[in-house]
Formats: sequence, C-alpha cells, structure tokens
Amino acid sequence: MKPRRPLDPYLLLLPSLAVLLAFVIAPLFFAAKTSLYRWDLLTEARFVGLGNYASLASSGQLGELVGRTFGFGAIVVVFGTTLGLALALALDRPGRLYAFFRGAIFSAYVVSWVAVALLWMWILDADSGLVTVVARALGLPTLSWLGDPRSALVTIALVTVWKITGYAMVVFLAGLQAIPPSLHEAAALDGAGAWRRFLHITWPSLKPTTAFVATTSLIASFQAFDVIRVMTQGGPVRSTTLFVYAIYEEVFVNLRVGKASALTVVFFVLLLGLTGLQLWAFRTQRASRPREEEPA
Amino acid sequence: MTRRASTRALLRRRGWLGALGSLSLGALAGGPVASSLLGCSALSSALPALWFSYGGKNREALLALVKAFGEEQPEHRLRAVYQGDYFELLAKLRTAMHAGAVPAVTHVIAEVMPYLAEAGVLEPLDELEGLSGDLELVPELAQEGAFTPKPGRRLYGLPFNRSTPIAYLNGAVLDELGLAPPTTWEELERFAALATKGEGSDRRFGFACPIDWWFWVALVGQAGGELVDAEGRYVLGAEAGERALALWQRLVHEQGVMRPPPGRDYNAWQVTNLDFLAGRAAMIWTSTAFLRYLEENAKFRVVAAPLPRDVRHAVPTGGTMFVVPRAATSEEKRHAAAFLRFMVLPERANEFATKTGYIPVSRAGIAELERSGWYASHANDAVARDQLRHVRPWPWSPELFRVQREVVQPRLEEAVLERRPPREVLASARHAIEEGM
Amino acid sequence: MSERRSSFDGAVFARGSVLGLVAALWIVPYLWMTITSLKTLDEIVQAPAYPLPSHPNLDAYREVFTSLPVGRYLLNTLVMAGSIACLQILLALPAGYALAKLRFVGKRAAFGLVLACLLVPPQVTFVPVFTMLGPLGLVNSMAALVVPFAVSAFGTFLVRQALLSVPDEIIEAARLDGASELRIVYGILAPILRPTLAAVFLFSFVYHYSDYFWPLVMTTDDEVRTLPLAIALLREQGTGVRWPVVMAGNVVLSAPVLIVFALAQRHIVRAVAARGS
Repeated sequence: MKPRRPLDPYLLLLPSLAVLLAFVIAPLFFAAKTSLYRWDLLTEARFVGLGNYASLASSGQLGELVGRTFGFGAIVVVFGTTLGLALALALDRPGRLYAFFRGAIFSAYVVSWVAVALLWMWILDADSGLVTVVARALGLPTLSWLGDPRSALVTIALVTVWKITGYAMVVFLAGLQAIPPSLHEAAALDGAGAWRRFLHITWPSLKPTTAFVATTSLIASFQAFDVIRVMTQGGPVRSTTLFVYAIYEEVFVNLRVGKASALTVVFFVLLLGLTGLQLWAFRTQRASRPREEEPA
Repeated sequence: MTRRASTRALLRRRGWLGALGSLSLGALAGGPVASSLLGCSALSSALPALWFSYGGKNREALLALVKAFGEEQPEHRLRAVYQGDYFELLAKLRTAMHAGAVPAVTHVIAEVMPYLAEAGVLEPLDELEGLSGDLELVPELAQEGAFTPKPGRRLYGLPFNRSTPIAYLNGAVLDELGLAPPTTWEELERFAALATKGEGSDRRFGFACPIDWWFWVALVGQAGGELVDAEGRYVLGAEAGERALALWQRLVHEQGVMRPPPGRDYNAWQVTNLDFLAGRAAMIWTSTAFLRYLEENAKFRVVAAPLPRDVRHAVPTGGTMFVVPRAATSEEKRHAAAFLRFMVLPERANEFATKTGYIPVSRAGIAELERSGWYASHANDAVARDQLRHVRPWPWSPELFRVQREVVQPRLEEAVLERRPPREVLASARHAIEEGM
Repeated sequence: MSERRSSFDGAVFARGSVLGLVAALWIVPYLWMTITSLKTLDEIVQAPAYPLPSHPNLDAYREVFTSLPVGRYLLNTLVMAGSIACLQILLALPAGYALAKLRFVGKRAAFGLVLACLLVPPQVTFVPVFTMLGPLGLVNSMAALVVPFAVSAFGTFLVRQALLSVPDEIIEAARLDGASELRIVYGILAPILRPTLAAVFLFSFVYHYSDYFWPLVMTTDDEVRTLPLAIALLREQGTGVRWPVVMAGNVVLSAPVLIVFALAQRHIVRAVAARGS
C-alpha cells in the first residue's frame, strides 16, 4: 500500500532499526576493531594488528576450542534429534496422560538453565547424587561425572540433551501433524505395517524437519554458556571450555578484551556458516512441504 | 457500513494493548521506585557497598562484623553484597571499574593486588584517615611482608581472610597406625602409603590435595625453588618446580595413594574437604580457613599439622586484601576507612579468626589469644600462626595473577591428571609467559 | 485406548512401560529437586538416596527467603522480562506494519537488516556492548538489561508474516475513518494479531525470565540482580554445598515459569513450533 505521508514508513521503522543498529550491527564492527588491539579495560589499548588472531591460531587454542565445541554439538544434535523424533512418534496421540508426558518433557526447555544445571549437579554429585548412589547400590562402577576430564563434556552434553529434547519433540510433533491422515489410512488399507508406514510416509515428510531441528540444535549448542558457567567453569583441565565460555573467560577473568574480540569475530563467522546450513535446511523444508502462511 | 462497524469494534478492543504499553513504560520508569519500596530495606541504595566473596561460615562471620560495625558507627554503615567466589568477585570488580560503578571497599586475592595497584585503580590506603600509621598488623600477612619489599611503595591493601596452607589429619587413622603427622616429603609418602587401604569406591586414600597453584607454590618453596629469579624472570622454581609436580604424579599414579581431586578452582577444594570428612582421605592439605568447619563436621578427631619440609620449610600466604577502588567517591572512601580501622582492631581480627580458622591479622590480637590461653586449648589454631616463620613472600609483579590463572593453573591440572612430563610442562609454561607478557 | 485391540495387550503394556520409564527421566529430576528441598542436610549426608524426607520441613525455604531478598530479585526479574516482552511487541508492530503493508524505497534493505540480525545472538554482541556501555555508565542498570533486547528480529519477522495475511481493506477502511497510522497499528491490527503477539510475548518473557548470561555479564550490583543470578550464588563455595537450600532456591526460581507454562502451554509451544515451520 501507499503510505499516507512519504516519511511514515521510515518513522514506523525508526525505533526498531535504531535499536538493531546500536545493539546488533554496530557491536559487530566494534568487535572487529577491538580484535586488533591489546586491551585490559583498565589501561590504554595498544594496536597489535592481527596479533590476537595469530596467537590464537599458533597456540592451538583456537583449533582446540573449535574441535571441542563441534564435538559437544555433535552429541547434542545426534541424541537430541533422535530422542526428540522418537518421543514425538511415541507421544503423538490423544489422551491426558500423553499430554502430561509431552508437557513434562517440554517443560525442561522453558525452565531456567540455572535451575537445570544446579539440579543435575546435585543428581550427578559424586558423593550423594542420586545417580551415583543408585549405581553404587546396583554394583555399577561410578565416576565423578563432572570432575573427570574424560566424562565432563559428555555429561554436560547429555544434560543439554535433557533440556532441549522437548524442543525437538515439539517441532517434530508439528511436522507430524502436517502429514495428511489420509496418507496413513490409505497405506493401512494396503496392509502396510507400522514400521513400513513410518519408513515410506512419515520419515520422508519429516526429513526437512529433521534437518531443521538438527541445524537449530547445532547453533543452540554453539551458544552454550549458562550450563558451563554453573556446572564446571570450563574445567576440569579445560575439558568443558566451549567457545562462548572461552570468550567470557578472556574478558572477565583474564581481562584480554582484544583476544576475546578476536574470538568473537571467529565465533560469528562460524555461526554464519552454520546459519547458511540452516537456511538451506529451511528452504528444503519449505519446498517439500508447502504450508499455509503463519496461523493467525 | 458493516466494515465500519467492525473497525469500531476492533478499536474498542485495543484496551488490552494500551494496558500492555503503559505497563511496560510504567515498569521501566517505575521499576526502581517500586522495587525499592518492595525490596528489602537492607538493600537501600544510599549505603556504600562492601563487596565480599566466599560463603558458608566465613560469610556468617563477616556479616556479623558488618552488622556490629553498623551498630557501633551508624554514620558509616555499609551494605554487604555477596559476589560469589574470589574469581567471580574479581571479574565483577573489574567490570565495575570499567563501568565506573565501584563499591566503596572490597577484598581481592593477594596475587592480583600488584596488577590492580600498578594499573592505578586502587586508592593508596595510607592517604585515608586513620590508616597511615602503624596498624600493628602481622607483617607476614600484611602487604609489607606478603610481597617482596620495595622502598616507597604505597599501601594498597589491608589483610583480611589471611591464611597459610596446613595439613589436616584424621585422628582415628593416626591412632590406628600409631603414626605422627609427617614432617618431611619422605614421611609424607610413607604416611600416604600406610594410610591407604581398600579398593573401588570404598578406598581410603592416604593423601588428598587440590591440584592448585597455591599448594604447588608451597611445594616449590619446600623443594628450595623460587617463582621469580633475582632479575624478576619467571623461572617457576626451575628444578624445584619439576620436583613438586613429580611428587604429585608419583603419589597419584605410581603409588595410587593420593586421590586426584576433580573440578576446577574452589570446586576441587570443596571436594577435598568432603573427602576428608567422609573418611575417604586420611590427610589433606588445605587452607587454615577451613579449620572450624572441618572440626565441627568431622566425626573423628581433627589433627592439624604444619606442611612437611623437603630441603626447607616454606609456605605461601593465601587469602585476600581489603582494597578501596580509586574511583570510589571521597565520601565512600571515608566510610571504607572507618570500616577498615574497625576490622584491623585486635578484637575484631580475633573474632573473625577464632570463628573460622584464619590467622588473626593483628599482632596485639595474636598476643591476646596467647595470653588468654586460646592457643593452648586450641592447638590446631596455632599451627598456621607458627608456620608464619616459614612464609615466602609473593613477588610484587603485575603479571603474577596472569601467570597463576592463565599459565600455571591449567597446566598443573593437565600435568597431574594426564601425567605429562614435568620438565615439558614447565618449559611450555615459561614459554607462554615470555610470549604473552 | 486402541479400537482394534482387546482390553489387555502385551505390546501395548510393554510400550506403555518403556514410555513410562522415558517420561520418568524428565519427571523424576523435578521430584528429586522438590524432595531434596524438604529434607535437612544431615538427612542427605546420612541416606542420600532415601526417597522421602523423614520430617518434611520448610527450613530450606526459610533459609532462601532470609538470606536473599527474594521478593526484590523476583521483582527485578519480572520487571526486566516484562519490559523486554512488552517493548518487543510495541516496536515489532509498527516495524512489521511498514515491512508488510507499506511501499517505500529501501524496504528490501530494511527487511534484510532485520533478518540479518537473526544471525547475531547475544553471545556475539556481549563483549562489544559491554565495552560500549561501560563508559556511558549504563552497565549495571536496568537499561543495560532491557534496551539491547527491545527489538526482537524474530518477533518483527513473525509480526510481518502475520500481517501479510491481513486484508488491506481493513487498513483502508480505518484510514477513511480518519484513524492515524499509529492508531491503525495499535488499535486495529494488534487485536487481529493477538495470537501471534501472545506467542511472541510469552516466548520472550519466559526466555528472559530464565536468562542467566546477559544479567551476569552486564550487572555487578545486587540492585539489579535477577533471580537466576541469585539462585546460582546459593551454591556457596568453600564449606560444603547445602543442597536442600540450593534445591529450594531452584523450586522458587522454576515455579513461576512452570506455572506460566502450565497455563499457557499452547501459546509457548506455538511460538517454538513457529520457529520450526
């Protein structure tokens, strides 16, 4: 439509764009600039060119961080997506009990990370945690789950799976509901069993959803911070120092703002790559499943 | 017509949105007002802030003193704000310095004081009223003795939460084995071996100690090394640094008599305490700060002992210093000075020390405890005080804190848990210091 | 339940049990949190796994409420999350309207900018925003918690999408009635978009209520401390964790969200599913 006065659209957009420019776009440039300095917030900044990037790369810190973060992401994505799909298939039926189960599983997604992290610290406590005590009673070997550098990252990844599986499940449920029931009915009339119906009807229609869930979970896992800050502070032996936590530590603990900014820039580039992946998944999903516009 | 009617109907329904709008604007504008009305009165923002860290018993003891101070000198009343552990507090403090919203007074770990002082963000305390003369502090715990001296250096910190590492032994195990606390490294290894028994989750380890910078520095000193050489270069104890690491590795891996404590920073300390209390470790090294806590929670007799010697006796001091940020207002500094004068008084220093296990920071305070027979009846409390003779001062080096946090601490964990050769570990640490500083 | 099967069926039973076990993975932790909060520390040390508190008591809750100004922190949190959610809606409406309905030069660029901001999470902007706000004296203020989130790129996008399916005639009619643009946006279009706005509001509110990251890096003082920060500090270092107290804090922190969730599950689920579709 034609605006009433030519300036109207700009005025309507102004507040939003101003905030986005100030708090999203400008900081990106600011980070890029700061990444060329050595600065501890308290004393004068010193220009070091690409020195921060060079030392990140040559010390092996960057490679380690990227590898660890991807490893963490892989566990979260594989388990979260598989479990989310399985739960969506199992719980996609009417009845109060199922609704309660769905609600319980999804509730973990809305509860604060602080609560989830503290709760699991207690359950996994190497002395009196529920898991430890039960395992000991059953004669199973126990581990200091969060205290052992071999198990800490996997443990945190599984806690993350616990928290976000509800999200995957909900998206899969939405995907399932978009499959016309007539398809299943027709296949059932043809004598197809549950497994064959899943393989030939459900799975093909859910493929794009799966790609979407997987990429979204990957991006989310890249942003993991709260859980690490509360549960392990990056230890033991840096085994849980993931990307965002490393940035935080450089700024607030080591006071290396330049290095943190360099990490931020690299992190943003990585996220851009992942988002490219997501856009591709998004497109495939749209293309294969023509949907109505947003439900109003 | 109909369309117009529906438009009007829609217009009438905008009430909820208006409510939402005014709610949000109201919340933004009125939030602080409303929250100060509803909030706890102790949080009244008019009071200057004292930021503190460390929970549990220490917190209770400190809060009692802050309260007593407020009652005694209401015109200087402070509001105590808990900021998590030492490192969390430090992160917050530097955030606040950057933002120009500092507390009137806080305490920081001693290792970071040279950095903050040289960066010019701390107020020289001898400039403040009543803090310029002789405060009768225990020199090893105060700035003058806790750091390598330099003439003309201003006073930036007053001691608080000051400690040395000591050994805690399970009295029942001592009785069972008929042993005395070890006094040398060889005796330590022998004790650890003899006191270890059982398998799996029932195993009792002879020894446990956080794989932490502080205890490593103690070992380095005992092995005859220094962190910094005469020219101010970080040699990290050279040979002695390697011997210190090798001792831990031997105890953990070869002999299996030291429990490798998990976790990072103060998590590891907590785990060590719990292992001791649960009888899973017959002897631990930790701060004298935990004396009361361990005594009160142990189901056995707790015996404190000085750390053993190798080629000599040596311990570092630990804990914090009260500092006043330079960016605080002069009004805030006045209140801070009053509080600091209050805290270094012998009876206050003693009250805090006897409630926790820290060493009293006041010379007169220690003399008073001596006179009143407190040390005679609390032999465990005397251990840390007696160890003051063996204190090795920290280098006054702005890099000290970075060397600790960024270079040495992460490598220690790695070296012990993953059994890296000590020589390589320390060489890489020295290299990192040269590169990064 | 099944129409085609008899009243008892082994397979149904087996599947039911497996499902029950899986669901227990989510339900038991909540129960354990609540049970622990009703125990005493001694009880936990003595019999860590005993399922029921011997003398259920509220001491841990009393401790939480006396050691922390919970009301104050909760209010801070609600003010923050509420302000963010409201602002996001108030600002998304005019922006979404311009992007969906009005023709103007630079529309594609503006829309592209909004979409681009979807790619930049707070984890990327916190370092520069922190260093920018510091010298302005804005760190440590409610503004530092709220203003950076006043615009939600996603919310703006959703509002725009929803407005695309609103017929232009409604707007034309309102213009004929002499309604101003702002009146059209807030008075006429907003009520039509109510479900979308409710979803944006609830999702944003719940997200920011629970957020730990941003308040952690932007604030130092307890004047603006939010509840998640305070609860995380309950796990005091040094002398043994008092798990009953920490779990009581957890219950206090989670209960409001869980109640909102129970009441408005539909909307929150819709907001989440909208991201996926």
